[in-house]
Amino acid sequence: MLNPFKKKSESIYSPVSGRIVSLDEVPDPVFAQRSVGDGFAIEPTDGSFRSPVDGELVLVAKTLHAFAVRTHEGAEILVHIGIDTVTLKGEGFTGHRQAGDMVSRGDLIISCDLDAIRTKVPSMVTPVLLTNGTKFSMSSPEFQANGASVITVRRK
Amino acid sequence: MTSKTVTVGSSVGLHARPAAQIAQAAADYDEEITLTIPGRPPAAADSSLMIMMLGATHGDTITVASDDPAAVEAITALIGSELDVA
Repeated sequence: MLNPFKKKSESIYSPVSGRIVSLDEVPDPVFAQRSVGDGFAIEPTDGSFRSPVDGELVLVAKTLHAFAVRTHEGAEILVHIGIDTVTLKGEGFTGHRQAGDMVSRGDLIISCDLDAIRTKVPSMVTPVLLTNGTKFSMSSPEFQANGASVITVRRK
Repeated sequence: MTSKTVTVGSSVGLHARPAAQIAQAAADYDEEITLTIPGRPPAAADSSLMIMMLGATHGDTITVASDDPAAVEAITALIGSELDVA
């Protein structure tokens, strides 16, 4: 029997191919210390960054190095492509969708030439973060997800 | 309500690192603090994502408003400084 009052959990998937790692391994204290939010990170092996969940694309950075999706339940998931990539001012990145679009998990949002960018920044490791963690709780990341969901989020 | 305008001091604009610092400082105050750039929806200063959604770049003017004058002073000072230092 479906309970309409039950808080629904939502699954967050990896936005890009590559190894899933802990935020502890991200070489930038603002992410490693969870200052922006808790979550996980990916060491990308290709340059196609996709929506990790169904929802509304609420942010596409002008510099195309980050985007965020608000899930149907209201969790905010930020994908930050690489470290210090804001300094590239969009060079090497291509945006495929716009803020305000409704997107599905797997939709291509931003693509980039990974090899060209990699030499210009400290790291291409990509944090995936729950930015409204005061309102939503998050499961421990499944580092061996292998295509399955990495975390689930649920309204507190 | 107190408000004050300030020019963004961070060279990269209000992206991840500066936004996280502002949001953490804003969370220390009980009163609501809003950040506004004319023509765009206001952002709650305690949400790093909403601050990033403002899309503020270096030199943009932001209005900080709150019922707590100390909060306005603190957040104004942060926005006006270079926060993108690891």
